[in-house]
Amino acid sequence: MTTTSSAPTTAPASSSAGDAKKGVGKIVYGTLRGVPTWVLWVLVILWTTPTVGLFVNSFRNSDMQRTSAFWTLFRGNFDGLTLQNYRDIFSSEATGGFWNGIVNSFAIAIPATIIPIAIAAFAAYAFAWIEFRGREWLFIITVSLLAIPNQVALIPLLQLFSNGAHVTIPGLDKTVTLIPDVGLVGTTNAVWLTHTAFAMPFAIFLLHNYLSSLPKDIFEAARIDGADHFTIFWRLVLPLSVPVLAAFAIFQFLWTYNDYLIAITMLGGGAGSSEWPATIKIATLAGEFGLRENLLTAGAFIQTVVPLLVFFSLQRYFVRGILAGAVKG
Amino acid sequence: MGILDRVISTLIRIIVAVGVSGVLFVALNYIFSQATKRWRLFNVIVGAFFGLVYFGILDGNRLLGDVGPTLIFWPIVGAVAAGIIFGVLSDTAEPRMRMGLATGGLAAIGIIQGAAWRSDFLPSLDWATAFAWTLIPGVIFGALGLAIRRDLTRAGHWALVGLTIGWMLGAWGGADFGAGGSRWEAYAASVIGLAILGVRLGLGKIPDSAGRIKINAGSRKYIFLVPALAFVVLGLLIPLMRTIYLSFLTGRFNNLTWNGLENYGFIFTSEKSLDFSDWTNFFGSSLAWWGGGLLVLSLVVVLVQWLRSPDGRPRVGGGSISPFVIGWFFIATAVFATLRGTIINNLWWVFFVTIMATGLGLVVAVLADRAKMESFAKSLIFMPMAISFVGASIIWRYMYIARPPNKPQTGVLNSIWVGFGELSTTDSWTGILAVFVLIGITAGLLIFAFMSFSQKANKLGGSSLLLAAVFGYLLFRMAGPGLGGIATRTSGEKVADTILFLQDAPFNNLWLMVILIWIQTGFAMVIFSAAIKAVPGEFIEAARVDGATETQIFWRVIIPQIATTIGVVVTTLIVLVMKVYDIVKVMTNGNFGTQVLASDMWQRAFTELNFGLGSALAVVLFISVLPIMFYNIRRMQKLET
Repeated sequence: MTTTSSAPTTAPASSSAGDAKKGVGKIVYGTLRGVPTWVLWVLVILWTTPTVGLFVNSFRNSDMQRTSAFWTLFRGNFDGLTLQNYRDIFSSEATGGFWNGIVNSFAIAIPATIIPIAIAAFAAYAFAWIEFRGREWLFIITVSLLAIPNQVALIPLLQLFSNGAHVTIPGLDKTVTLIPDVGLVGTTNAVWLTHTAFAMPFAIFLLHNYLSSLPKDIFEAARIDGADHFTIFWRLVLPLSVPVLAAFAIFQFLWTYNDYLIAITMLGGGAGSSEWPATIKIATLAGEFGLRENLLTAGAFIQTVVPLLVFFSLQRYFVRGILAGAVKG
Repeated sequence: MGILDRVISTLIRIIVAVGVSGVLFVALNYIFSQATKRWRLFNVIVGAFFGLVYFGILDGNRLLGDVGPTLIFWPIVGAVAAGIIFGVLSDTAEPRMRMGLATGGLAAIGIIQGAAWRSDFLPSLDWATAFAWTLIPGVIFGALGLAIRRDLTRAGHWALVGLTIGWMLGAWGGADFGAGGSRWEAYAASVIGLAILGVRLGLGKIPDSAGRIKINAGSRKYIFLVPALAFVVLGLLIPLMRTIYLSFLTGRFNNLTWNGLENYGFIFTSEKSLDFSDWTNFFGSSLAWWGGGLLVLSLVVVLVQWLRSPDGRPRVGGGSISPFVIGWFFIATAVFATLRGTIINNLWWVFFVTIMATGLGLVVAVLADRAKMESFAKSLIFMPMAISFVGASIIWRYMYIARPPNKPQTGVLNSIWVGFGELSTTDSWTGILAVFVLIGITAGLLIFAFMSFSQKANKLGGSSLLLAAVFGYLLFRMAGPGLGGIATRTSGEKVADTILFLQDAPFNNLWLMVILIWIQTGFAMVIFSAAIKAVPGEFIEAARVDGATETQIFWRVIIPQIATTIGVVVTTLIVLVMKVYDIVKVMTNGNFGTQVLASDMWQRAFTELNFGLGSALAVVLFISVLPIMFYNIRRMQKLET
């Protein structure tokens, strides 16, 4: 704000509320003016309480969780504080080894982040800087798939992963195997492959937005120097697009690490719990609510800690990803 | 298996997946750059690739006999043979020589194929079918070639490709395998088809250096696009179409039979999806009456303002709009709570979560703008965005949990609720004190309202009056029927009681929605916050200089400036809320009247293995987001131009 504009900012405030202010009293007016800030902080406390509650409870033994509320801790009730929940969730047979679940979560999230980035970056580059016929239409069709619900693809994909793809030629009654059954169903590979397909429209959209805004001159200069598309992509575009790649990577990592729907679809039937990511493990614990309540708090907190760490350390990039294309399907 | 093994095997899988795709991409780029540098090497590699794929598909379908290490031997033989033939062809320009080499070479590959064919699976050809099938694609391709290229020679080339495909389909597809076939028929079937393709290759000319550059440059769009498009087509487009097809079938798992539109009929007539039977309850719902009262209030405010306006024209302002909007919000909620069913639940989710998350996001964005510790406050509100829906559901379980009424409550909400219940049932001094506090607040607000009106500060007076009415109602509940959780025992004694937030239908739906609002408010806030900061400061300064109040600046300057952003947030939220699944699944598993389309779809498809009905539900979900998809495409097209 400049110095010239600082004077008028105070003037209208006093004129608009001036009549009431004189009569009712300055104290009331001052309190009312503070209301917005108070409301903000009340909201912040409301928004934080549930997470704090889970965090506190995860350090209390099951008796305490059952008989006294978590906020009694802040009134000096330190009974039953323990690390036992965390010890139990890693050793308990009930969860089939919680470490395993965390490793599986990463086994899904890491390839489901890296591979879509690479593939989508190629495609986004082609859409932005390689001239060919039908480019606009192909781009619009690809990106319009952005909002379709993942549910519409789940049943056929599960069939594909469990049976392969076969086509019967009409009139000849012969069946040809297009994609053989390679036993993907029930493995984390099926999950990240599905994530890769579902991420594609969003990734292409996000990266294309960025790549097409790069200045045209640098590409022309590179072409004149005799660089082909591969060299331009590798030497020029990749280094320039690190911020948007990071934004997408964080977004996609959180999305896939936190996913439940696709994992339970591909791993739910038949597959042993040895391939389950952490989300399914804690959801299953929650399904038997009451039995191992104390483990649930610790499990949920461990599952949540990873995205929270990513979030707080790389929030800037995450926000950028959200702002750039807020329409994931 | 130890945890370390698991980590190592996972790492290896990741490295292999990333490595293979990376090497493939670089290799393809390298190969096509050879088209201009080493033409013959390029041809050898292309030929070897086709040989490998052709024999690989045959061997993969177990059609070739086992020699040595199976699945590797014949593809390698095919790759070597095709590589040699393509290499020789790459610099044979003399037409007759080229024709001879191409036809002979491909026929030789056909002989290899015939020799390799599994001896217990030899074909017995149906020559009539084979010739009929050969001709049809030949003619079609020829005609297409003529239509597209408008050149008789080119059309001939196209026709030859069509003949090859036709022969392959007709001869192999029409044959009976196993008993009765002979090795000679296998030779005939493979050699004739490939020889026709050989004629096509023989007719081709070797591209000059300009043509080679064109091959090199033209290949890049495919190399860059095909991986992504393959995932889109195989993982989204084809499954989408197959889901639409499956939605017309019925049966369990893979035994599906045609069912017409029955699945859709079931969805829209079943009591589980749309249940209007209790619609009369709407008139008994206090929410509906509160909503109606607010609508009447807004009408009264409009009339009063009209009568008192100096120019005699009706005027609409905050005093009449806010009760109007809140009134309709109450009435809509009452409608959703009386009409039940999966589809109604989905609409309720979309309505409530979208409005609340957008509204709260806007409120926080405005409140936090230039407040002290803005980024800290925003981080905390935004944080739930990083938490999984499953994690969020578990976090909120501990907010909603209900313990037996006589035990201490450990859930925040029930603790407050039961606390009020105890206050209004107790006979001790705390209950009386609470009543007096409420009387004090109500009276104070009334006095304040009266003073404001007498000072002509009508807005302040009006809102104080409304607050006084709310507190008056609370006072009435506290002193009369009771406030908070109350249960009446058979003895007539009133005691404090809990709410089963997750079980008591229909409002358990609202408590599930709260979780999604908790998550998505941060999303809306971040986007609004950025949009508000992008509003040019001069606009706001200019409005201030003209004497606009902060409220006026908000409604007249900021809101119009961020209107498109509001559109983006609302559409994004509608799509997201439409598909809500995890929260319902984890919290109630769709029980107690909380089923929504996505959770119903999952249960039908993957618990009951009714793929037909599950697909139909998925298609209903898809169709309901279609309008938004079109809206987004339109918006994108506008941005492009």
